[in-house]
Amino acid sequence: MKANRTTLVGLLVAYGVIPLTLGHNNYVMSLIIASLVIGGIALAWALLGNMGGMVSFGHSAFFGVGAYVSAILTLKAGVPVAVAMLLGGVGAFGASLVMLPVLRLRGPYFALAILAYAHIFKIVATEWESVTGGAGGLSSVPRFPVLFGFDLGSKVGSYLMILSVVLIFVVAYKWIRSSYYGLALRAMHDSEDATRVVGVHSTLLKALMLFVSAFMTGVVGAFNVHYINFLEPDYAFNGLWVALPIVAAIFGGYRTILGPLIGAVTVYLVDQLIFKNLIPSGHQLILGALLVAMIILSPGGLLPLLRKRSRNNHAAS
Amino acid sequence: MNTFYKKLGLTAVTALALSAQAALAAEFLVGAEIPLTGNLARVGSGMNEGISVAVEVFNKTNAKHKIKIITADDESAPAKAIAAVEKLAGQGVLAITGGYGSNNIAPASDAANKLGLPYITSGGVDDALTKRGYKTFFRINNTQGYQKAVVGLLGDMKVKSVSIIYLTKQATGDLAKDVQKELEGKGLKVGTHAFDPAINDFKPIINKVKLQDKSEVILMVGYENDYVGILRAAKVLKPDVKAMVGVWSLATPKMASEFPDLMPSVYGTALLPFPAEFKTADGKLFADTYKKLYNKEPDYLGQFGYVQSMLLFEAIARAADKATLSKGGIAQELSKTSRDTLIGHVIFNEQGDNPNFVHRMGQHQAGKIAIVWPANAATGKINFPGVPW
Amino acid sequence: MLELIAQALYSGVLQGGSYALIALGLALVFGTMSVINLAHGELVLLAAYIAYTVESRLGVNPVFAIPLALLVVCLSAMLVYALISLIRNDREINTLILTYGIGIILTNGVLLIWSADIHTTSSVWLQDAVVVGPLYSMHSELLFFVVSVVLMGGLWWWLSRSWYGRAVRAVSSNRDAAKLMGINPRLTEIISFAVAGLLAAFAGVALYSYGVIQPSYGHVLTVKAFIITVLAGIGSIPGVLVGALLLGVTESLTVTLASSALQELAGMTLFLLVLFVMPNGLFGAARRRG
Repeated sequence: MKANRTTLVGLLVAYGVIPLTLGHNNYVMSLIIASLVIGGIALAWALLGNMGGMVSFGHSAFFGVGAYVSAILTLKAGVPVAVAMLLGGVGAFGASLVMLPVLRLRGPYFALAILAYAHIFKIVATEWESVTGGAGGLSSVPRFPVLFGFDLGSKVGSYLMILSVVLIFVVAYKWIRSSYYGLALRAMHDSEDATRVVGVHSTLLKALMLFVSAFMTGVVGAFNVHYINFLEPDYAFNGLWVALPIVAAIFGGYRTILGPLIGAVTVYLVDQLIFKNLIPSGHQLILGALLVAMIILSPGGLLPLLRKRSRNNHAAS
Repeated sequence: MNTFYKKLGLTAVTALALSAQAALAAEFLVGAEIPLTGNLARVGSGMNEGISVAVEVFNKTNAKHKIKIITADDESAPAKAIAAVEKLAGQGVLAITGGYGSNNIAPASDAANKLGLPYITSGGVDDALTKRGYKTFFRINNTQGYQKAVVGLLGDMKVKSVSIIYLTKQATGDLAKDVQKELEGKGLKVGTHAFDPAINDFKPIINKVKLQDKSEVILMVGYENDYVGILRAAKVLKPDVKAMVGVWSLATPKMASEFPDLMPSVYGTALLPFPAEFKTADGKLFADTYKKLYNKEPDYLGQFGYVQSMLLFEAIARAADKATLSKGGIAQELSKTSRDTLIGHVIFNEQGDNPNFVHRMGQHQAGKIAIVWPANAATGKINFPGVPW
Repeated sequence: MLELIAQALYSGVLQGGSYALIALGLALVFGTMSVINLAHGELVLLAAYIAYTVESRLGVNPVFAIPLALLVVCLSAMLVYALISLIRNDREINTLILTYGIGIILTNGVLLIWSADIHTTSSVWLQDAVVVGPLYSMHSELLFFVVSVVLMGGLWWWLSRSWYGRAVRAVSSNRDAAKLMGINPRLTEIISFAVAGLLAAFAGVALYSYGVIQPSYGHVLTVKAFIITVLAGIGSIPGVLVGALLLGVTESLTVTLASSALQELAGMTLFLLVLFVMPNGLFGAARRRG
């Protein structure tokens, strides 16, 4: 009951309070939307890590492919934006198919192999000029449509869209975790050999998680391109789409579902509003330091750390 | 009774005078969206200096109208450029000056157009920028201006073959291809070699030029680190060429001082010689103010920033006088611009482009930079043939 | 055409030698501790910037910067080790993320201290050409190729002959048994990191001498070093040289025969190819699939 009430309040704040109070401030809304984009990727990244047991350093690959597919479909084939966004996710899923051979590799090899793929996609995007516009990229990518008189392309509209997309991901993640697949994957985490004996097809499950993670990131990438209306290889496959979600997920607690989201919003807003003013050039240094501190002190994220602190206090008293 | 009326009268007159002065001393807010951090930070700060000088000069020479600049950092990133424009709009600016890099200017001017703000820049030479049909977008330079300068110089040199080594980014690639087309149209033999931003060692490319192309001139289209790499490789391999020509960011005092052994006789686009000499009153005022504010010589970035901003401020002043500020007056006044500036006579066509723009070519000579093309702007004799080795 | 290919091979081999120097530190730590230090490239870059500072402030040849670079980079490497040893669970993955974060700190630190300007040596001697028949190279390239081979030879000797070197190998194959034999694993791990730092310092000064540096280059170096480590296979020092030469020559040939726009693509494709076809690398022991 309590959880439901918190959820309700949370939804009320997100869907109601924020647009009403901050909706007119374009700048802050831009920041919030950007942080939710990072949050979406962080969630997908954490899903792959938790459910699939694979850490990836190349999620920018899915982000970029999703963005390009969606942009090209709307620009050149006149596909409606909403459909194109989903197809962007499908495109990213296709990219993950190409990565299947990498699944057999152990941790660090997988992580960096994905990075190699990201680099390769970026080069393809730069060279395949006729389709992707080459290094100059694509501009005037169609915006979100006007639905029932409400402009989804406006700041508030875009905010509501990305919020909904991310929340759908949260629900999906929850479903996967509590389903048969989730149970099997978590068992696999503990002992892959034992699960294989029981009949769980570990490689197939891992592949499924890769597909889901790729699809989610692709959709987020597609959202971003229709929100910014512009795309180029450097931006689409930028290392920041890798670094920021990782910092966000680790900070927020990547074993939890909401952790990465909360981490993303917090870290991004604090970075843009505070750190950037402290160190205009190189403020990401603080993010790096944050990542280092979190990994050492509390790899589970901020929440477990706080919980541990409060528990200690209680114990002392 | 009399005292009362006198006091009333005095108060009324004072109030009127004050309000009149307030209307006269109206301050106009202008936004500057500039990369102050990120990989374009250096060019951004150069442009920013030019803008600040323009503010100073305009406010000094204009009794009636004053300009105040609000700066927003776009972090050399497209998404942040949009955010910067929106932030400035929220703070009530009338127009935007600035922007560098077509990749950032495209989305930023998109946002400005949606908000109805005029956008003037000197940092985006990409052709696509002026093909969007915006009435609010203006730029004082373009790829054609660079093309005309390079082709003009090569024409003066009367060479028969050129090798173009260019970076696979939009601005550099477009310029390279346009120059190639024009030169081939004139009957020159042109070899082209593209390179990726990640390339560090240019020896294989220079070797290809030396052994296969055997051209008389090498044209380099890239950025500072590319020029350094290419010149280095050329110094090692010593291809049999008569000149090394580059485009932007090459004929600068910075390159002369940081890489003195790579620069001798190298050509690049340059508006002014170094040390700079200004012959017009406008120019002298610019140089003096620049020196006063920043204690150094102005460079091409400062000049561009100055010219674009002055044109904008003057348009704002004209629109204010005609009381058309809120009716798109600034954009209208800008489109009517026809003025001699440090970069030549500037006018804007239907698309907001400056068709008169022609750059100049400078050459590194003994640690200084002399303008060698076009002849009517030349400050020194061309040192041809000549290479750094 | 033949001349072109000959020059491409020559340049590729020299470049490969320098790549080997960059990759060696990463490979050593990986081989002995099973830890991938994603901040390794940044350590190399740090040394390069120190070389720049020494050259521009004191006006001397950058090779004289080596002592200072050694000091700073070795200390930094040991700092990295200290942070890594604080991790308790999920060592492999968490170390990966930790060193990734350290890499971000170093890259931005370099940006803060030295700004985004590009730099390279202004020493004329280092840039001067050395002509061997139809083949051209710079003094700096030849010099550091030799240095690289010498250091590799020294490292190989140290690992196989000296007491410390053999202790390092013992710890990497069986930590507990080594402890029983009286070896302090902590000490050998610190030594590994210090040696990796030493190699990074030389690599950095070399980089400054023949190439152009900027803050964002640290990440690129780490990726290249990792590719070479994979090519080599775990635990093989000669493998690193072969892998580096392979990468250097592949890049050079791609630029010469195809387009230089594809140079990075060639490296990445080579990397993935080896991962799929020869997961143990060219010389390594089987430990890849999990």
